[in-house]
Amino acid sequence: MPEADTPSPERIFAVVVEIMQSQFDLDESELVPGAQLVDDLDLDSIDGVDLSVKAEEELGVEIQPEDLGELQTLQDVVDLLHRLVTRAR
Amino acid sequence: MPGARAAGAEWSRMRERGSIWGLRVTVACYRVLGPVLSKPLVLAVVGYFFLTDRAGRAASHQYLARVSRHTEATTPRVPTFRDSWLHYREFALSISDRVALWGGRQDAFQFDFHGREHFEKLAAQGRGAVLLGAHLGSFDALRVLSHLDRVTVNVLMYTAHAPKINEIFKELSPDIDVRVIEADPSGVGTALRVRACVERGEWVAILADRVEPSDRNRTLRVDFLEGSAVLPESPFLLPVVLGCPALMIVALRAGKRRYEVFAEPILEEGAPPRGAARTTRARELASTYARKLEGYCARAPLQWFNFYDFWAASGDGE
Repeated sequence: MPEADTPSPERIFAVVVEIMQSQFDLDESELVPGAQLVDDLDLDSIDGVDLSVKAEEELGVEIQPEDLGELQTLQDVVDLLHRLVTRAR
Repeated sequence: MPGARAAGAEWSRMRERGSIWGLRVTVACYRVLGPVLSKPLVLAVVGYFFLTDRAGRAASHQYLARVSRHTEATTPRVPTFRDSWLHYREFALSISDRVALWGGRQDAFQFDFHGREHFEKLAAQGRGAVLLGAHLGSFDALRVLSHLDRVTVNVLMYTAHAPKINEIFKELSPDIDVRVIEADPSGVGTALRVRACVERGEWVAILADRVEPSDRNRTLRVDFLEGSAVLPESPFLLPVVLGCPALMIVALRAGKRRYEVFAEPILEEGAPPRGAARTTRARELASTYARKLEGYCARAPLQWFNFYDFWAASGDGE
């Protein structure tokens, strides 16, 4: 598969922001790379399932529970998804 | 009086502080003293708590009065000091049995199952499920189920010591596959770990009656024993979101080394509903759970082991 098919980190960030807005009613202004998932965005582990299901649908990756262990910020989510997308392609 | 959420969470923190130490000491005592001598020791420790823990005694009195009003609506009894002691004593007997079970004396116990066919069906089909229990009777029947049906049972609990507890369980009973999953309030991965277990065909057991710090105050309210009680939302939302079956499981002590285990399906497998519909489904599930729990409380009133004001947050505390 050509390298161009792999979405850029910027594209993945946009996908994540879209998911966060549609799934959790979050305002775009809150969705900055450094936003803490639990403390700033008030997400919990059920939200973690929703986020994973949507990200899996949108990006065609499979997220394992151990992948989420260390996720603290929105940027961590983007980095993880970028890693998984790159690995899958 | 703190709310039930705060009371439940505080109770959990206290229990957490002593859990590993307590587990090691208890098992060591059992091994040194054996079943005959360790039982009076447990009774003495629980007796000490009964005499010194005024809030716990008040909670026991409150609960026993409610269960009496619920079951004997025409002539409810006012619980006595002795009733509360019998309540604590039942707790001591339960601990004593637990330790014997952990100590590998499983064969000395008789477990009579009602609804075991539900588990056999799941096990035969390799389907995962969420099992909802309560601090009523013993949750250790799960260890027996795991052994009988050759299924891995995961217990989701608020603890920072999951690996250590797993190590102790494995050391005690190498042939029983019961693992502890840590409910981590500081991250977003707990429910995904549950999903992975369910997808592998494993069972995930949750004590769904007590609000833990990991619930981060996400709670719902149900009618329970003549009042309104607060339950954690996530145990009910989880099977709904994962679209997996949920069963209620309760094991009640029915005599010396004899337990009756009740299991009944309370949620069928199905496509997860979306949006507000899933919160509604979770609330319905919680109401069903609370109604059934009332029935089990009526069956074994002294085996309720929440010694704090369970109804406080909704203004129904006494």
